[in-house]
Parts: sequence; structure tokens; C-alpha cells
Amino acid sequence: MLEALLFAMFAGTAIGCALGVVFHRNPVHCALLLVGVLLNLAGIFILLHAQFVAALQVIVYAGAIMVLFLFVVMLLNVKGETPLLTPGAAKFFGFLFALIVFVEMLWTVLQPGGDAGAPAAQAPLPAEFGSPAALGRVLYTVWLYPFEITSILLLVAVVGAVVLAKRKFI
Amino acid sequence: MDIAYAIEILAKILVVFGFVLVAVIFVVWMERKVLGHMQDRIGPKRVGPYGLLQTIADGMKLFMKEDILPSQADKVLYFIAPGISIVTALAAAAVIPFGDSVTLFGRAVPLHVADVNIAILFLLGATSMGVYGVVLGGWASNSKYPLLGGLRSSAQMISYELAQGISLVPVILMTGSLSLATIARAQEHLWFVVPQFFAFVIYVICAVAETNRAPFDLAEAETELVAGFHTEFSSMKFALYFLSEYANMMVVAAVAITVFLGAWHGPVLPGPVWFLIKLVLFLFFYIWLRATFPRLRYDQLMAFGWKVLLPASLVNLAVTAVVVVLKG
Repeated sequence: MLEALLFAMFAGTAIGCALGVVFHRNPVHCALLLVGVLLNLAGIFILLHAQFVAALQVIVYAGAIMVLFLFVVMLLNVKGETPLLTPGAAKFFGFLFALIVFVEMLWTVLQPGGDAGAPAAQAPLPAEFGSPAALGRVLYTVWLYPFEITSILLLVAVVGAVVLAKRKFI
Repeated sequence: MDIAYAIEILAKILVVFGFVLVAVIFVVWMERKVLGHMQDRIGPKRVGPYGLLQTIADGMKLFMKEDILPSQADKVLYFIAPGISIVTALAAAAVIPFGDSVTLFGRAVPLHVADVNIAILFLLGATSMGVYGVVLGGWASNSKYPLLGGLRSSAQMISYELAQGISLVPVILMTGSLSLATIARAQEHLWFVVPQFFAFVIYVICAVAETNRAPFDLAEAETELVAGFHTEFSSMKFALYFLSEYANMMVVAAVAITVFLGAWHGPVLPGPVWFLIKLVLFLFFYIWLRATFPRLRYDQLMAFGWKVLLPASLVNLAVTAVVVVLKG
């Protein structure tokens, strides 16, 4: 009961904030509403017994990435930017991608059986589920290759950032 | 959930938050008194015995002041920003254990508001959210100096957060737990400051920078930026920033004590008393630093954080990891 209430609270706030991100005029307020979405998602992670992921969500996304985002929005005056796409094209692609993501999610949720479809309440969770130790073990055994590939991707991004920062612009 | 449990939690929340808020009064007084004597003057002495009530008088004055809203400010964020600062500071205080569990009315009561098993990550999360209070305060004022001060101090906080977080990891490796209570209990015989002295030094330096205190108080370098991000704030909004700075000081000091300086362990006296003694000594050290060192230049600050502290903390982490593995 309490869990359902909390879920409704987090999910509702997250959706409200997400709508705000899309419809608010002021870019700084949009960025902050996005922080709100991320924090509420962290709350939902905690409800799913994934405290470690929730903490990382807050530290990495809400705490670090969004601050940098906010920096950029504050320092560049976004109002004067000419948009990359015409409003019509932007709307078309926006709806297209939203539709693709929606169909994907629907498909995953509607899958019979499997881990993704099973409600967490039915099977009792192991005691250390979601703990850093359990997560680390899975990450370095079952999901080793995706993990390493992701780290290479990040390395490439770091090298790229350094190269761009070192370039003389004038 | 039974009633006794709810009462217990509520009581602990009130005690911890009440302690932090009341202690700020005395920490401010202590800072002014200690700074005064270090600079060969007396410090406050008129209000109350030894000037003890000076901070209360100042607080009352701030209450009475006119609350000024700059005409060009972003009104919503201008109101929210000081709130974010104080909320994150107080939230961080919730996971700090200030004593071993005691038995009250036949119940074992652990002396912290919440023993989450990811307490250290919770702390880092709370401090990283604290950046928003500063950067939004600077931006929402819609004025030059606050914006520059806000950008400066948030860049500083983000930079030093990294080394601060990594300096805590060796202790996590040694205890195998992210819970502050477990880390505190592991120090009954040997404080972690002995095997992890370098991590302790790095943590203390980062803690000073993280709270925007001298010699890292670039955010409010008076000679360049008037008062940094809170230039435009007056009355209780300024008081909230002031409060959160001191609450943050106490939180980072309490973390240093819990992780490196043996938490509540000590001979004869009960745990919470030892914790309090260590807290006062650590805050004295903080004030001592302020009285001793001149302010750094901004590029020195950034170079020091990224080129010295971060690599040093990474090397320390790698060495500790190897040692932990070799010892089995």
C-alpha cells in the first residue's frame, strides 16, 4: 500500500516534471525540471531495491552531468540560436522517435514471462539484491563484455574532449 | 510499522536537526572568538557572557531586516536556491552515526537517523546536490558578481568532489562496506587515519574546498567579487546560506571523524561525548586554517585540484587495492 502510494508520488512528479521540461520556455527552468525527473527516477529505483543505482543516478546524472548542462545553458544565451531543423521537421522527428521508444517499451512490458515482465513482488528477492557487491559481481562476470565496451566508449569520449579542448579556434 | 519505532525515528530526526541548527550558533561564536585571538584582538564580548549570545543577536537582526527582491531576479529560483542549500546540508547529517546503539526503555536504539547501507554514496549525492543552491543563487540574482561567484564555486565544488569521493574509497575497500556505522565499528582498535594517512590529508583539503572556506573561498573573494553568489541575498535568505555553510562544515567534519578519526571510540567517556569533543577539535582546526593561509588564486586552485589531489588520491586507491588483495 505504502509502496504503491510512494510509486504514484514519484511517478506522478516525474511525469509532471518531464512535461515541464518540454513545455517550459526558460531553458534554465527546463534543465532544473530535468533534474526533478532524474531525482524522482532515483526514488523509483529505491522502491525497486536498487539503492546503489539510485545513488549513482543522483551523484552522476543529477549532481554532475546536469550541473554541466546548466553551466552551458547559463553561459550561452540559447535564445539567439537558430534551430537546426525547421519547426515542422523537428515535430515530425520528435513524434517518430517518441513513437519508436514507446513501441519498444510496450513490447518489453507485454513480453510473457522472463525477468522483465515478472512483478518483483512475486519472487522473494535475495537479501543482498541491489547492493554494490552484488551489482559488481554481475557486472564483472555476466555482463563483462558490455561493461568493457562501454568503458572503451567513455575513453574515446574523454580523448575526444581533450582533443577538442586543445584545438586552437582562432 | 509500530508506534514506538515511528516515535524513535521522529525523536532522532528532531535531535540531529536541532543539534545542527543550535550548534551553528556556537560554531559561529567559536569562529569569531578564535579568529579574534589568533589575530591579536578579543572578538565579540558584549552580548552575554564571553559574547556567547552575539550570534543570536545577529540572527535576530537578520530576521528583522527587509527582504529585498532584486527587480530583475528570477523570482522562483531566487526563493528556492537558499532552500536547496540548507536541505542538502541537513539531509547529509541524517546518515552520520554519533554513537554506538544504546538501550532506552527496553529498546536498542542505534544513534543515527538512518543506517542506509550506502551511507557514503548518500552523503556524496547530498553534497553534489548542494552545488545547485550555489549555482542557482548566483544565476537567479541576475547580476554580474553573483553569477561569476556562483560559476566559480560550483566549478570548484565539482572538481574537489571527485578527489573527496575517491579519498573515501580506500576505507571502503578495507572494511568492505559503504555503511558509516560499519566503518565506525571497524575502528575500535585502530583508527583509519593511521593506515590511510594520505587519504585523510586529501579528504581534509577537499572538505575545506567543498565547503568554500578559506583558503579556498574563491566564491566570495571580497576584493574581486563583493560577496560571491550571495551578494544579492538579504535577510533570512542570506541567513539560510550562512546556516548551510556552517551546517556543511559540521557534516564534513563529522564524516572525517566517522571515517578516519575513530568515530565515537575513545576511553572512559561515552561515545557521543567523544564524538562531540572530536567535532569541536576538528572545527577548531578548520578555523585555524582560515586564520593561517592566504587565499589561493583561481588557476592555482583548479590546477591543485586536478593535477595534484586527484592523481594522488587515485594512486593511493590503487596501492590500497593491491594491498587489500595481497592480504586476502
